[in-house]
Amino acid sequence: MDGTKVLVVDDEEAIVRALRAALEARGHHVIAARTGHEALERTASAAPDAIILDLGLPDLDGIEVCRRIRLWSDVPILLLTAEGADDVKVAALDAGADDYVTKPFSTPELLARLRVALRHRQRPGALSTGDEAVLEVGELVVDLPHHEVRVAGERIDLTPKEFGFLAVLARHPGRVLTHRLILQTVWGEAYGTETQYLRVYASQLRKKLAGHPAPALVTEPGVGYRLVDERDQLEP
Amino acid sequence: MRPMAPRVRLPSRSAGIAVGALLTLGFTAVLLGVRDEVTSATPALALVVPGVVAGLLGGRIAATAIALAAAGSFSFFFLPPFGEWKILDPDDVIAAVVFVVVALAVGELTARESERRRAAEVRADELEDLTQSLEQAREDKDRMAGELDRLTVMEEVDQQRSALLRSVSHDLRTPLATIRAVSSDLRSDVVYDDDTRRELNGLVADEAERLDRLVANLLSMSRVEAGAFAPDRQAVDLPELLATSIERVRRVLRDRRVELRVADDLPLVDADYTQLDQVVTNLLENAARHSPPRSTVRVEARPEGSFVQVAVEDSGTGVLPTERTRVFEAFHRSDGSRSSGIGLAICKAVVEAHGGTIKVGNTPGGGARFVFTVPIRARDDRDESGHR
Repeated sequence: MDGTKVLVVDDEEAIVRALRAALEARGHHVIAARTGHEALERTASAAPDAIILDLGLPDLDGIEVCRRIRLWSDVPILLLTAEGADDVKVAALDAGADDYVTKPFSTPELLARLRVALRHRQRPGALSTGDEAVLEVGELVVDLPHHEVRVAGERIDLTPKEFGFLAVLARHPGRVLTHRLILQTVWGEAYGTETQYLRVYASQLRKKLAGHPAPALVTEPGVGYRLVDERDQLEP
Repeated sequence: MRPMAPRVRLPSRSAGIAVGALLTLGFTAVLLGVRDEVTSATPALALVVPGVVAGLLGGRIAATAIALAAAGSFSFFFLPPFGEWKILDPDDVIAAVVFVVVALAVGELTARESERRRAAEVRADELEDLTQSLEQAREDKDRMAGELDRLTVMEEVDQQRSALLRSVSHDLRTPLATIRAVSSDLRSDVVYDDDTRRELNGLVADEAERLDRLVANLLSMSRVEAGAFAPDRQAVDLPELLATSIERVRRVLRDRRVELRVADDLPLVDADYTQLDQVVTNLLENAARHSPPRSTVRVEARPEGSFVQVAVEDSGTGVLPTERTRVFEAFHRSDGSRSSGIGLAICKAVVEAHGGTIKVGNTPGGGARFVFTVPIRARDDRDESGHR
């Protein structure tokens, strides 16, 4: 991913300088913005390949920045959030952000998240909502037309809801999906707040996938779930 | 309100009888002395009195008993033949009978009246009790309202405390975020060129210093709040202090230019060097935070009466008139500001502890201009020889 253009948005000069050094040392090109309005302007004028966006900007709130960018761009957005700001984090993810890291973050972790977001965004059709008939995440294969799940060629029996849950995660591997998004996709619009369903189904899915070389179903407390293939292992 | 008033005063029959009997005996004794000088009408009238008194004190039965006793006394001592239970004169028989009837009637009436009065007293007592409990209820209500006020105040204090914790932890975490971002990356395999490595090392050092300044401010703040913030005064050469402070925060100011203008004949000031340095540092850091890159920060010092006046000017967006007092309040944070609002509160505390004043206004260009005063060291002071 050499030559990737990354927009870093933070009003803390020191963080921008640290990220600039880390990204440039890896061959990325860095542009910086200090405010939400500046971020929108740079996104339009410089067409970055990815955006690292601090949620605590002095002018516009980060959720609004995500929403406005998503009106016309699919550029991956990685959020920098303060600890304990779960509501804002979830709202920004629902508004279209791809992932988040919590401050104070480790730079290798942030870079790994950025790599995941870039890789999946680069796959053609990765963003579409159902064009692919068969989803593959590592050894996991989700065959949508046949309603079938296989891990390393071995069939796993799932209930329709378990299948739906796994399918929505497999469609966006490595990416955190919020409780609301999963519930509304699998259960329907009216179920956006029934997060206890997800806990039950997640534990059933983990039991059924245990012992198979399947990607891990990772809980992001207070936010949602993500499916992590070992290729996308986040901690170096 | 009568304290300890018995609720109901029951007629005391024995007291009525005792007093009535004593009065009967007394009246009889007195009247016996004058028996020969008066007609039988006098004892007849006088001996009605004990029955009345007994009725008042002891009620109906006491009145009747004493009326009968008085009638006995009347007929025995005052109707001839004296000293015998005999009445000779038919007139006297009628008098005795009338006396008994009158004494009984009067006793009965007084007793009845006395009971009515007591009933009224009982009602008055009840009314008073009711008034008292109403008053009690009102007091309870007032006390509860007071309690509610106190709770509201406590809630406000609580909110201030959590706002304080939020802002302090944000301010502590911001430099930590940079330090962690850099240090975690230095451990990875990536190779930095020398310039970048230097830049990152400087960044960590700067942020560590920022943490240090924040902690120093927090400590000073707690000393101010504990009332233990006395300046340790000495003769201070202000131009030297200003130059040193500017040099030390050079990295915070980054590419901002600093213009230092000091009057030639500036006298020594009477101040605590460390505290005064903290004031200057906080004002410079504030100027750096609120002014655009590559702008100029101006620092001036000139004598003004028995004080030296120091001004720190930036070319940021200035301070709104409504904010000019509030910026010096602890943990006040104006919109969009990222400081914890401690720095300027420390400045005010230090300056005022030295007997000076601190104010903020705007420059003609719209930036903020902070001005504080610090007293000049008296000339005849022993420090004047220049030991410090």
